Amino acid sequence: MEISFSFRWVDVLLLMPVVVLAVSSMVPLLIKVMSGGREPNSFATMCYGLAGVIAAAGWLISMEGTRRVAFDGALVFDGLSTLIGLAIVFAAGVALVFSRENFATNTDQFSEHVFLMLNAAAGMLLVSWANDLIFFFIGIELMSLCLYVLIAISGESRLSKEAAFKYFLLGSFASAILLYGVAFVFGTAGSTNLQVIAEQSQDLISSNRLFLLGLIFLVVGIAFKVSIFPLHAWTPDVYQGAPTPVTGFMATGAKAATFVLFLRLVMTSAFAADQANRLIEIIQWMAALTILAGNIAAVMQTSVKRMLAYSSVAHSGYIMIGLIVASIGGEQLGGSSSVIFYLVAYTLMTIGAFGVLSLLEKDEDSQIHVEDLRGLAKRSPWMALCLTVLLLSLAGIPPMVGFFGKFFIFSAAVKAGLYWLAVWGVIGSVVSVYYYLRPIMQMYMRDEVGAEVCGDRYLSIGAVSVAAIAVVVVGLFSSPLYQAVLNALRGPT
Amino acid sequence: MLLSALIFLPVLFGLAVLALPKQLVRPVSLALSLVHFIASLLLFRNFDPTSAGLQLVEQKPWMPDIGITYFLGLDGISFWLVILTTFLTPLVILGSWKSIDHKIKGFHSALFFLTATMVGSFLALDGILFYIFFEASLIPMYFMIGIWGGARRLYATVKFFIYTMFGSLFMLVAIVALMFMAEQQLGQMSSSLLDWYKLEIPFVGGELLSTQTLLMFAFALAFAIKVPMFPFHTWLPDAHVEAPTPGSVILAAVMLKMGTYGFLRFVLPMFPEAVDYWTWLFIFLGVVGIVYGALVAMVQPDIKKLVAYSSVSHMGYVIVGLFAMNAFGTTGGLYQMLNHGVSTGALFLLVGMIYERTHSREVNAYGGLAKVAPWYTIIFLIVTMSSIAVPMTNGFVGEFLILLGLFKAHPIFAIIATTGVVLGATYMLWMVKRVFFGPESAMVKEHAAHGGMDLNWREKLVMAPLVTLIFWMGLFPNHFLNYSKSSIDHLLENRMHYQLQVDNSSSPLKVVDQRGVN
Repeated sequence: MEISFSFRWVDVLLLMPVVVLAVSSMVPLLIKVMSGGREPNSFATMCYGLAGVIAAAGWLISMEGTRRVAFDGALVFDGLSTLIGLAIVFAAGVALVFSRENFATNTDQFSEHVFLMLNAAAGMLLVSWANDLIFFFIGIELMSLCLYVLIAISGESRLSKEAAFKYFLLGSFASAILLYGVAFVFGTAGSTNLQVIAEQSQDLISSNRLFLLGLIFLVVGIAFKVSIFPLHAWTPDVYQGAPTPVTGFMATGAKAATFVLFLRLVMTSAFAADQANRLIEIIQWMAALTILAGNIAAVMQTSVKRMLAYSSVAHSGYIMIGLIVASIGGEQLGGSSSVIFYLVAYTLMTIGAFGVLSLLEKDEDSQIHVEDLRGLAKRSPWMALCLTVLLLSLAGIPPMVGFFGKFFIFSAAVKAGLYWLAVWGVIGSVVSVYYYLRPIMQMYMRDEVGAEVCGDRYLSIGAVSVAAIAVVVVGLFSSPLYQAVLNALRGPT
Repeated sequence: MLLSALIFLPVLFGLAVLALPKQLVRPVSLALSLVHFIASLLLFRNFDPTSAGLQLVEQKPWMPDIGITYFLGLDGISFWLVILTTFLTPLVILGSWKSIDHKIKGFHSALFFLTATMVGSFLALDGILFYIFFEASLIPMYFMIGIWGGARRLYATVKFFIYTMFGSLFMLVAIVALMFMAEQQLGQMSSSLLDWYKLEIPFVGGELLSTQTLLMFAFALAFAIKVPMFPFHTWLPDAHVEAPTPGSVILAAVMLKMGTYGFLRFVLPMFPEAVDYWTWLFIFLGVVGIVYGALVAMVQPDIKKLVAYSSVSHMGYVIVGLFAMNAFGTTGGLYQMLNHGVSTGALFLLVGMIYERTHSREVNAYGGLAKVAPWYTIIFLIVTMSSIAVPMTNGFVGEFLILLGLFKAHPIFAIIATTGVVLGATYMLWMVKRVFFGPESAMVKEHAAHGGMDLNWREKLVMAPLVTLIFWMGLFPNHFLNYSKSSIDHLLENRMHYQLQVDNSSSPLKVVDQRGVN
């Protein structure tokens, strides 16, 4: 086997969003070093970060319609890359705004925070574009390393250190297993390129046990990153310990990126072969148990952040249903479009919900419990309304966008004949309504005094408002988004 | 455009109310709700009662990829339910003038949103659109019970929400299955009811897992919980007792009808074979509901809970009427929906009025109310007569038609159901006796000493239209039934191969065009 490498400048143009993010992430650090280690004005720092994010978003939008691979097929630029790329940089931008106005993140290390956040976003972009397992691994590591440190440098003193350490240890294990899987796949298929693997996968999976083993390791590694049962146990602790803006960013960006890669992997048709039936069956059970575990555990939480963490586990389960449909062939377009639609919807509503939490935290150590939301509707009616809309959307109540996300997932499952998963998801949704209603109940139906929204955090309030309004508007007019998702997927991948 | 206006006017009103200064909220809301009612009266001018087809149809593509359209239309089945909804809103606003004393902006806004979603679910002829209105109506009601309700309101409102949502999510899965069935059989995904009526859904009698049976039960579960049919009724007493008066009125008078309307619009015409096979089950549960609801109502110490259980009993009549599947029964069922809306709505309003004065709903705490509140007593007696179906009141027409229809179809069940009439008279009259007659109780004396026990002019104004309707509907049922007759006849005659035509000028062509383009 011969390894050749050719370099074309046009590939660098395609990679520009990542380059822009990486370069602009240096600016705040450089300024800090130049001014002798003193922390510069946090507003300016945030603006440098936002400039990078906006430039990357602009570049992504201008790439609309591109259909090509770069770096010898290692990265793929199609509609999907653009769409999910936009979702990731949106999450990064919003999370930056929240970070500036949160006590746990706006510390004397805010420059470093912005640097890490932009690099994590760059890693996520790489993951979502990866067409090659090595690039995927590099992206995942870039993203994860930044996140470990982001959690650790939080101003919060106790939980965040524990969370960072836990995430680091377990995440390293998962990465090792993932890499082990990549090695097996490379050893048997002779390539790390997804297209090349796809061509041989049907044969290999029936003839070569090691290839199957490699696939299983890959699935395990990915399942850890997107918190699928039984690899979800880290999620609540890490989500709770991380500063809220970072939690929001992790829950949306990292999940979206990893799920897109998962989608690209299952669409190699390796999983459609007869020999993979068992594997698919196990994945189905994992999805079902994820929904169950996430929802049941969320019911019992008193901390809003932990509740949202478990609920995000449950949402991973719903997305898995769409992925399974995409993997078993026959209904690939239906399954994959539902996954992408759900990811975009999920990004909007989850980042908004964490944003409201971030607004309520009055110092770096504050933990918001459901009880703290008492009477919020009276003190800040607009934020209470936004959180209500976001939570109802997460619960999948029409006409919010979350309903359409679930609708597309369940309809894909019904169409593929996976009725039991659809019904299971439905039952999970009913359970989830219970815990999503609890904060709403506290906000509107109790009058006692609880946490306050700090009034001067205008940017965060604006960002939350954008998310809440988008959840309603995209819900009522979901056709254009669904159309965009379909267009993104119909192109040659 | 008229139908869209009926749905979206209240949405606008609901937003407008939020911007008003506090002292203007009540009068302006009342005026706006009257505007909405008058707008709905325009339906009389544009509706042709002789046609069984859909009228005033509006259809626009919404999600063309999967065949979801914004599709509204009116026929004899939905006509009166829409009017009932718009008619009750001003009464409810006037009736709650004093009883809702905090967060009045939010209250009136929620009421308008609720009206919009209820009208929407009666007018929607697209499965997904219907589902959206059906579910969205839970949100304002959730807030209404939870914010302005009684002591155990939080428990009641969560139970109400989750119970109802549980049923309707299975309906969502069935809706999705029907959309794909439309793709297989008609070549294109569609959630339009008119397309669903055309589907040939496989049915094997006696097999629980045959497609049509499963789909039928998925829809029936959602509607049975909403109605509520025995044994899915347990959320209702909790919700009613804890809800504020206006919430109870809307819940009983209109929201329960969304369930029975669903049976009439979806279950009966879409799954004819499965319905034929399982009719006995629905009739059985209906009859059990009639008797059980009446028996439980009899022992309630709380007046509001008594009325709530009487609702279970009355809705049982509606169900057996609809499933009797002959002209008498089904017409009676539809009529009983309106009757129940008027008389139970009135009962809840009356209970609320006396509760505002004494802050008690205990039957035992009352007695001799007739002496201190004669107007109140007279009106309460009239409404009671309507509720227990005394001739010349509306209740009589409905129950008589239902029992007649049921007797033709299932005589044994009819005999059992008839005992419900006696039981109904028993619990209502017994309660009336204990509350209004006999010696004055200590509580009544104490409150009577302050004066103002009888109805004031505002409360009389609220009750006047309801009392008028009780007699009007009792004496001249044809004034009302004429509007529904052709639709019901059409449904019963063509039940096995039900089709609905789109009437009226330009709309049919447009509909064909849009379908062709996509």
